[in-house]
Amino acid sequence: MSPIIRFDQVSVSVHEKMLLSDVSFDLFAGEKAVLCGKSGSGKSSVLRTLLGLHPLSGGMVYFQGEPLDPASILTIRNHTAYVGQEPILGAESVREALLLPFGFKAHQSHKPREDQIIEVLRRLHLPADILHQESSRISGGEKQRIALARSLLLGKNLYLLDEVTSALDTASKQAVFDVFSDSSLTVLSVAHDPDWMARCDLVFELEEGRLTKRSGRSGKVSNMQDTGV
Amino acid sequence: METLDIALPRMAMLYGLCLLPWLLLWLTGLRLSRDIGIGILRMSIQLVLVGIYLKALFDLNNPWLNGLWILLMLLVADWSILRRAGLKARYFFLATFMAVASSIIFSTAYLVVLVIQPEHYYDARYIVPLAGMILGNCLQGNVIALERFYYALRKNQLEYETFLMLGATRWEAVRPYYRAAIKAAINPAIASMATMGLVSLPGMMTGQILGGSDPWIAVKYQIAIMICIFTSTVIACIFNLKLSLNIAFDAFDVLRTEMVDKH
Repeated sequence: MSPIIRFDQVSVSVHEKMLLSDVSFDLFAGEKAVLCGKSGSGKSSVLRTLLGLHPLSGGMVYFQGEPLDPASILTIRNHTAYVGQEPILGAESVREALLLPFGFKAHQSHKPREDQIIEVLRRLHLPADILHQESSRISGGEKQRIALARSLLLGKNLYLLDEVTSALDTASKQAVFDVFSDSSLTVLSVAHDPDWMARCDLVFELEEGRLTKRSGRSGKVSNMQDTGV
Repeated sequence: METLDIALPRMAMLYGLCLLPWLLLWLTGLRLSRDIGIGILRMSIQLVLVGIYLKALFDLNNPWLNGLWILLMLLVADWSILRRAGLKARYFFLATFMAVASSIIFSTAYLVVLVIQPEHYYDARYIVPLAGMILGNCLQGNVIALERFYYALRKNQLEYETFLMLGATRWEAVRPYYRAAIKAAINPAIASMATMGLVSLPGMMTGQILGGSDPWIAVKYQIAIMICIFTSTVIACIFNLKLSLNIAFDAFDVLRTEMVDKH
C-alpha cells in the first residue's frame, strides 16, 4: 500500500531562509499524525508545502503516489481540507461562510442539504442558530469549529489541521477529537496540546526545519539524527 | 469666430497674478516659493514644448508620424501606470501595453471613423487630441485598478490562500479583489459623467467654446469623449488585470511578491 503523503528529503527555503531541511516521512490512509516543536520549527511549513504554497528547493512531495507539481496541485487541494489556527471564514454570515466553497466550480455539485449542515454543527457542539450570525461576531473557538464544519461538509479524506483546538474549551475539544478519530479520515496536524498528541498515531518532532524525532502509538521512538533518516 | 490671442505683455501680466496666491501663502506661514516657482516654470516649459510639437504634427499631418506620436504616448502612459501602481515594469510592461493600446486604439478609431468621420481618418487635429484625452483618463483608471487589486491581494493573502485551499481556482480566489478593483477604477468615470455640467464645465467643451465652436457641437463632442473615456477605461482595466494574472502568480497560484513588492 502506498502512502497518501510522502515527504522525500524535502527542503524548502523562502527568501533565503531555510524553512525545512531534508524532511522525510510517510502518512498512510487513516493515520493521524501530529507535527510538534517550538514556534518557527517548520510545523506549519510542512502543511503549506504540501498545499503548494512553498516552492521546494530540494526533494519531492508525493500525494497518492503523484509528485507535487503544477499539474497535480488542484487535485491535491481538492482532496485535502486545510484549517488554520486563526481560520478565515471569508464571508459576512456564518451560513455564507459554510457554503462558500460550494460556490466554487470544484464543489458546485456537492452543495450540502440543510439537515447535513445542522448535523455537522451538532457534532462540533455548535447550535443551529449560529447560521444566522455574522462571522465577525462569533468567538475564536466558534470560528475554529465553523472552519472545521466547513471542511467536514466538503467530505474530504485528508485533513490538514493547524492548531485547530487552540481556542477551544475542554468539551468542544473533545467533540473535535471524536469527529477526527473516525478511522476513514487521515489527519496531519500541528499541535502543542498533549491531549491531541496522545490521540495521534504518529508524532513528528521538528527543530529548526529538521525532523528530529518520530514516535508511534506503540511507544517506539526513532531519533532521526541517529538513524540518519 | 476666431479665438482672441493673448499677446506676450498680457501673458506676463497673467504670471503676475501668481504673486497674489504666493503672498497669501507667505502670510499663512507657508514658505512654498521654490515649489511654486518650479511648478509654474515646469508647466510653462512643458506646454511650450507641447505647442511646438503639436504645431509641427498638425502642419505635417502625416499618418505615420501621427501613429508614431500615439505610440509614444502609449509607451509613456504604460511606464507611468506601472510606476504609480507599484508594479515592476520589466514583468508587466507588455501586458499593460497590450491592454491600454488595444482599448485606446479601439475607442479612438470608433469615435473618429464611425462617429466624427473627418475627411482623413488620420487627421492629427482629431486623432492626436482625442487619443490623448482618452489615454490620460484611462491611465488614471488603470493605476487605480492595478494598485487596488495587488494591494488587496497582499493585505488579504491569508484569505486568498484560504479560498485556494477550499477548492477555488486562481480566478475564483482573486475574483472578490478583482471586482472591487474594477469598481474603484471606473467609479471616477461614472461619477464624472453623472455630475458633468453641474459641478463644473468640462475642459474639452470649454476649450471648444473658447475656440469658437457652436455650444451644441461642443456638447456633442463632450458626450462623445466621455463615452469613449468610460469605454476605454473599462476595457483597459479588465484586460490589464486579466493579463497581469498570468504574470503575477507562479504555477501553484502563489503571488510572486517580488513583482509587486511595493504592496
